[in-house]
Amino acid sequence: MAILEIQHVSKFFGGLAANADVYFTVEQGMIMGLIGPNGAGKTTLFNCITGYYPPSKGEVKFNGERINGLLPDRVCKLGMARTWQKVRPLANMTVIDNVMVGALCRTNSLKAAREMAMEQLKVVSIEHKAGFLAGGLPIGERKKLEVARVLATQPKLLLLDEVMGGLNPTESEELIHLIIDIKNKGITQMIIEHDMKAIMRISDRIVVLNSGEKLAEGSPEEIVNNQDVINAYLGDSHI
Amino acid sequence: MNMKIFLANIAGYSPVKILLTIAVLAFLFLFPHFVENPYALHIMILLFLSTIMGESWNILGGYTGQYSVGHAAYFGTGAYITMMLMQYRQVPPWYGVWAGAAVVVVVALVIGSICFRLRGPYFVLASIAVAEIMRLSALNLKDITNGAEGILATEIPPLKIGATVVTDFLSKVPFYYTGLTFALLTIAVTYLVQHSKLGYYFQAIREDQDAAHSLGINLSLYKNISLVISAILTSLAGSFYAVYIGFIDPSTVFPLDISVQIVLICIIGGIGTIFGPVIGALVLVPLSEALRSNMIAEAIFKTGMVTEESGPGQFLKENLAHAHALIYGILVVIVILFMPDGVLGFMKKLLAKRMK
Repeated sequence: MAILEIQHVSKFFGGLAANADVYFTVEQGMIMGLIGPNGAGKTTLFNCITGYYPPSKGEVKFNGERINGLLPDRVCKLGMARTWQKVRPLANMTVIDNVMVGALCRTNSLKAAREMAMEQLKVVSIEHKAGFLAGGLPIGERKKLEVARVLATQPKLLLLDEVMGGLNPTESEELIHLIIDIKNKGITQMIIEHDMKAIMRISDRIVVLNSGEKLAEGSPEEIVNNQDVINAYLGDSHI
Repeated sequence: MNMKIFLANIAGYSPVKILLTIAVLAFLFLFPHFVENPYALHIMILLFLSTIMGESWNILGGYTGQYSVGHAAYFGTGAYITMMLMQYRQVPPWYGVWAGAAVVVVVALVIGSICFRLRGPYFVLASIAVAEIMRLSALNLKDITNGAEGILATEIPPLKIGATVVTDFLSKVPFYYTGLTFALLTIAVTYLVQHSKLGYYFQAIREDQDAAHSLGINLSLYKNISLVISAILTSLAGSFYAVYIGFIDPSTVFPLDISVQIVLICIIGGIGTIFGPVIGALVLVPLSEALRSNMIAEAIFKTGMVTEESGPGQFLKENLAHAHALIYGILVVIVILFMPDGVLGFMKKLLAKRMK
């Protein structure tokens, strides 16, 4: 069953088409990779899906329900959560409080929220930092905090925007395991990533964007062998 | 539920803190029994007033991060509604205060729906503009507000429960207790906000609006809730001020000065903390009184560095009181430069260093 349907979505900024007629569907339980060169419109597409921008044209359907025009908080309540390319910790709040803000989306009780938050901190294994200020964490832990915080909103679909960007190989490896754990919980994921090895390893299916348009879609094997994708993005060295 | 949290927190406090709280409360409640000096009572009442003003702005500015520099709008509206009801309709102020608060809720929702479309410096400018509109309206709607002549309270009806007169508001003592009650009320409200979902959501909005939005926080709803709580408490301060002073006009309850004063109490004391505004009031009220009443010049004479009769002495005597705004301003700049987290934050850091 399709959890997310992107139907001919376009987004114009003045005369510039950041997204032009993008269409694909994300099936329940899968990991969908979204790749493409810088400026291809990947983050814009995330913004259109999660309610930060209304799409100029086209429809976004989540669980069969049309969601364009809904604001981000409504989209989050429906069960779709996103992380940010540039992490956005609530810097002057503690790590546990950050995650509690996410959990409070599903409960009004602070006690319940604290328990839910602690659980998610354990999932991303930074529970020992619970009492630290979020602004003081190193980048690897900030990325994990970001993931814990969205997990606390109990999403059905998780959109991860370059969650491995700026991490060292060990940290990247930890995040890959985390993403696979999340998949095993039955949470569908759509992931923007520039680390090709990682994205090929974890994705069930990949969509390639180029200059705002969909260039290709297919399994990781199909994508690495697609001549258009090689020309536009991957380059010859990947073959 | 909240009561439970409250008790749980009490249980978590050290006995020293509990004893200290009880001692401070006892001191405040017994103060008028030992001190009859009206000036001392007046200073205490000003302290309570500043605390209410600071705490109420703190909810919107300190916790939610929306730097309104137009809180005079709510202060003045509360003051005017209470005074108009008392003078023109003979409604006792202890009912009028709540009528004022109710009107302020409406005003706040209108202002919020306009200003919260803007962010950062644009929000600040819009909040100033709206407060100025309120001031000019009060000045020009002469039929309702009596314009620039203002409203003088000729008689405050005594507070009665049944047939017994509780107080007649003739001395400063009943105002002292009213101010104390309102101040404790605002502190209690701040405490409850901080220890609830509201507090978490407000702070999340302060830290990062977009991130907060993506975590399921309805920005305009929670900003408006914060504004309404803040505005109601500010209107209590305005009503209290009006009845205490006994006279209001647009330039005393609606000016930009009041809005700035409210913000300063918070910034000086420590923004986004429960006791920051209390500290801010404790610093600013005595400072401004000392400067205004020429106490500093007299203190200099007492040290003997300068005699009152000498040339510089005469100069100080004549000019220091007039320069109080200037000196006040310089001191505020110094505090902001060297104590960016306010006096409370500074003291906490100092304590932490000592502990190490």
